[in-house]
Amino acid sequence: MEDLLGNLALGFATAFSVQNLLLCFIGCLVGTLIGVLPGVGPIATIAMLLPLTFKVDPTGALIMLAGIYYGAQYGGSTTAILVNIPGEATSVVTTLDGHQMARQGRAGIALGTAAIASFFAGTVATVIIAALGAPLTKLALLFGPAEYFSLMLLGLAFAVVLARGSVLKAVSMIVVGLLLSTVGLDLETGEERLTFGLQDLSDGVDFAVLAMGIFGFAEILRNLESPETRDVVRGTIGRLLPSATDLKQCVGPVVRGTSIGGLLGILPGNGAVLGPFASYTLEKKLARDPSRFGRGAIEGVAGPESANNAGAQTAFIPLLTLGIPPNAVMALMVGAMTIHGVIPGPQVMTKSPTLFWGMIASMWIGNLMLLIINLPLIGLWVRLLKVPYRLMFPTILLFCCIGIYSINNNPADVLFTAFFGLAGYGLYKFDFEPAPMLLGFVLGKLLEEKFRQALVLSRGSFMTFVERPVSAGLLIIALLIMVVAVLPAIRKSREQAFQE
Amino acid sequence: MIRSSQDVGAGVFLIALAVIALWQGAGLATGTWSQMGPGMLPRTLAIITGLCGIALVVSALMSDGARLERWSLRGPILILGAAVAFGLTVRPLGLAAAGPIAIIISAFASAETRWGETLLFSLVMTGLCLGLFKYALGLPIPVAPWLIGY
Amino acid sequence: MTRVLIALAAVFGLTAGGADAQNYPTRPITAIVPFAAGGPTDVVTRIVGEHMAKTLGQQIVVENVAGAGGTTGITRGAQAKPDGYTIMTGHMGTHGAAPALYPNLKYDPTKDFEPIGLAAGTPILIVAKKALPPNNLKEFVAYAKANEKTINQAHAGVGSVSFTTCTLLNSQLGIKPAQVAYRGTGPSLNDLVGGQVDFMCDQIVNLVEQIKAGSIKAYAIAMPERSPALPDVPTTTEAGLPDFQVSAWNAMFAPKGTPREIVAKLNDALDKALDDATTRKRLLDLGGVIPDKNGRTGAYLADFVKAEVARWTPILKATGAVGN
Repeated sequence: MEDLLGNLALGFATAFSVQNLLLCFIGCLVGTLIGVLPGVGPIATIAMLLPLTFKVDPTGALIMLAGIYYGAQYGGSTTAILVNIPGEATSVVTTLDGHQMARQGRAGIALGTAAIASFFAGTVATVIIAALGAPLTKLALLFGPAEYFSLMLLGLAFAVVLARGSVLKAVSMIVVGLLLSTVGLDLETGEERLTFGLQDLSDGVDFAVLAMGIFGFAEILRNLESPETRDVVRGTIGRLLPSATDLKQCVGPVVRGTSIGGLLGILPGNGAVLGPFASYTLEKKLARDPSRFGRGAIEGVAGPESANNAGAQTAFIPLLTLGIPPNAVMALMVGAMTIHGVIPGPQVMTKSPTLFWGMIASMWIGNLMLLIINLPLIGLWVRLLKVPYRLMFPTILLFCCIGIYSINNNPADVLFTAFFGLAGYGLYKFDFEPAPMLLGFVLGKLLEEKFRQALVLSRGSFMTFVERPVSAGLLIIALLIMVVAVLPAIRKSREQAFQE
Repeated sequence: MIRSSQDVGAGVFLIALAVIALWQGAGLATGTWSQMGPGMLPRTLAIITGLCGIALVVSALMSDGARLERWSLRGPILILGAAVAFGLTVRPLGLAAAGPIAIIISAFASAETRWGETLLFSLVMTGLCLGLFKYALGLPIPVAPWLIGY
Repeated sequence: MTRVLIALAAVFGLTAGGADAQNYPTRPITAIVPFAAGGPTDVVTRIVGEHMAKTLGQQIVVENVAGAGGTTGITRGAQAKPDGYTIMTGHMGTHGAAPALYPNLKYDPTKDFEPIGLAAGTPILIVAKKALPPNNLKEFVAYAKANEKTINQAHAGVGSVSFTTCTLLNSQLGIKPAQVAYRGTGPSLNDLVGGQVDFMCDQIVNLVEQIKAGSIKAYAIAMPERSPALPDVPTTTEAGLPDFQVSAWNAMFAPKGTPREIVAKLNDALDKALDDATTRKRLLDLGGVIPDKNGRTGAYLADFVKAEVARWTPILKATGAVGN
C-alpha cells in the first residue's frame, strides 16, 4: 500500500511537470477533435503525429499519444449522439439511444452524461491499473483460445438480446455479420475467401469501413429522404447538462459499464470493442422497462460510454506490464516506445518507473482535462446542429471520405464504404437493425480464429471447451442468456398462436 | 397473399446474399468440424442466412407486416456517387480536386441546395480540410499531383 | 492569352517533366511501409528515415499501407512514379518469400525495383514457453522429435516472418508440429507467454524484453555471432544447428526507372544514417543488425534479393502454403 502511494506520488510529480501537462492537454484536445470527425480515428492520428514526438522525451511522447487515444473515445460519442454517426468503432452503441435523446431535445443531457460517465470510468480504470495491473495481466494470460471462444459465444448471446424488434431479423443480421467477417484470407491456409478476386478485400472488410457505410452514409441517405424527422433535432436545445435525477439513474449503469469495459479491455484481440455492446445489453436486461431502450434511455448512453472509456484505459495494462499490445492502437504505442528507446516489456515497471507511473497519473489528469474540455463544448456542438442540413451533409460526407482514406491510404476503402452505405440503406428499407450485424462482424473474426486455434491445440478434440474450467463456465452462462433471450419470444408467438 | 411486402423484400435480400456467398465460396475446402477448412464457416453461415431468408418470406405470407417503401434513386446515386468520385479522384487528382467534387456532387442530392453558396462552401471546406489534415496533422493524402506534384 | 499559356506550359513542364536530379529532393519524400505502424519494419524505417531526412534536407513521411503480408504496400510502391519521391521498405517476406507464397503477386522482387540499400536487419530467435522442459537447443530438438504428436508452434499468420522462418526450422529439424495461426505478433506472443503454445520463431525486436524478463526462454539466435542485446543466448552454430541462419532483413527500394543519381543520393543518405551514432544506438538497442560497408550498396542488395528468392522458394513451395 505504501509502495503504491509512493509510486503514485512519483507518477503525479512526473505528470504535473509543465511540459507533460501541456503534452497531455494537446493530446486530449487533438484526440477529442479526431474522435468527433467521423472516419478519422486514433490509429491514423497517432501514426501521423509520431514524428512530432521525436523531439520530446519518451514519457512526454507517450502521455501525448495516450491522450489522443482516450480523447478520441470522448469525441467519438459526440458525433454518435448528435448526428447518429459513430466517430469511433466503440461509439456505435452510443448512437442507439444517444441520438434518440438528441431527437427529443435532450442532446445536451446525452453529451453531458457521456462525458461524466466516461470520466468516472477513466478514474476507476486508472486506479485499477495502478493497484491491480500486474495481477490482472496474469488473469488475461489465463485466457487461451478455448476460453476466448467461449467468451465470444457469450458475446453472441448478448447480440441476440441487443435486438429491438423481431428476433428472427436480429438473428439473421448477426449471421450476416458473421458471414462478412469471413471475407479475406484464411488464417491457416492463406486462401482467399469470398473476396471476389479483389486484392483490396484480401485483408477482409475493415470495421471502420463497415460502420461508416452502414451508419454514416446510410444515415445521410435516410435524412435526405425524410426532412421532417431530421429537423426535430434542431428544434429545442433544452438543458445542457444532466440533472441530479438523471445522474442518479446512471449510477448503476456506470458502475457496471466500467467493470465490464475495464475487464474486456485487458483481453488481447480487441476485446474492448465488446465492452459497450455488453454493457448495453446488460442494462437493457436489468432495466425495469426494457422497451425504453432504443427510444432514448439515459442508461443506454451512460453504461456503454463508461465501458468504452474504461476499456480504452485498461488496454494499457498488457502494454505496460507485459509489453504485449492487446490491440492495434497499443501496437502503435509499442512502436512509439521502441523508437524512443524504451522497449516495452515486463521490466518497464521496474526499469522505467517514471515512465510507468507518470503515464498512469497522466491518464487520470487526461480524463479530468477531457471532462473540462468537453463540457463547455457541449453548447458549441449543440449550436452547430443549427447549421442548415444542406451544408452539413456534404461536410459529413467529405470528412467520412477523408477519414476512411486515412485508415490505410487506400481509395478502395472509400469505394467499399459507399457500397456498404447502399447496403445500409437497404437494411433500413427492410427494417433490419444494423447493430447486431456489426457485433456479429466483430465477434466473427475472433470466434473462428479462436475456435480453430483451440482445435489445433487440442488436436481436434471438442472436449477442450468443456474440460477447461473457465471456458466451461462461460459456455454455461452463454447458454443461460440465450435461453432467457429466446424464451419470451417463443412464449409470445405461442400466445399469438393461441389467440388465432 | 403477400401480407408484408417489406418482409418479402427482406427475405429475398437474405436469400440473394446466401446464394452469392455460396457461389463465391464454392471452391474452398470444407474439411471436417474438428479440422476445419477455409470453406466450412462461410458455407455454414451462408446456408443459415438463406434459411433465415426463407423463414422471413414464409412469415411474410402468413402474417401481416409493414409494406415495403419505395427506394428513392436520387439520394443513393448522388451521395454514394460522390463518395465513389472521391475515391476515384483522390490519388490522381488530390484532395484539392476530390474535395470540391465530392461536395458538389452530393449537394445535388438535396432540393434545398443553393448553387453559389455550395460552390463557395466546397472550396472553403476543402481548404480547411487541407489545412487540418495535410498540414496540421501530416496525413499523407495527395494534395494536387497534377498541379504541384504531390 | 498566349503569355498565360506559355506560363502554364512552363509550370507544367517543370513539375510534370519528372524529377530534377540535381536539386533532388525539393519536397517531402514518401516512404511506404507495407505493415501497420509500430511493427519492426515501421520502427526501423522511422529511425533511419529521421536521420536520412537531415542529410537530404526534406522530410521523410512514412505511409503505412498494410495488407497481404506486406505485398499490398510493395505493389503500390512498385507502381509509383519513379521520380524519387516514393520509396519503400521491403523485407525478407515481401522480397524473399512472397513469390513462393503469393502466386498472383503483382511484382517481381528481382526486376521491378531499384535497390537502394539494406537497412537494419532483425535476427530471428527460437523461443519457447517458460514451462517447456528442454533448456537448450539440443534438448529441444530431441523433445520435439519425441513429442511430435503434441508439440505445437505459433506463428503470426501465413506470409509473416514467424511463419516463414519456423517453416524452415521445422523442415531442417524434420518435425511437423501443429502450426497454430494467429493474427499478428501480439496475440501469438501473448499465448506463448501464457503457456498456451509451445514454441515459435520471431524477430528479436518483439522478443528481447520478454526474454530478459524471463517470461519466455530463448534457445538460440540465428546469427553468426551473439547479439549484444542478448549476450546469453547462444547462436544456432554454437547450439548445434549451424544450417539455421536467418535474418529478417529490411531494405529500401525505389520503383524501377528511378534515375541513378537520385538512387545514389538516397543510398548515400541511408549510409550516413547507418553510421550516425544515435541511429546506430537505437537500432542496436532493439537488437538490430547493421550491415557493414560492403553490404550497403545497391548492387549488393540486388544480388542479395536474388539469392533470398532462390533460397525461400523451394522451401515454401514444399510446404504447400499459399498466400493468395
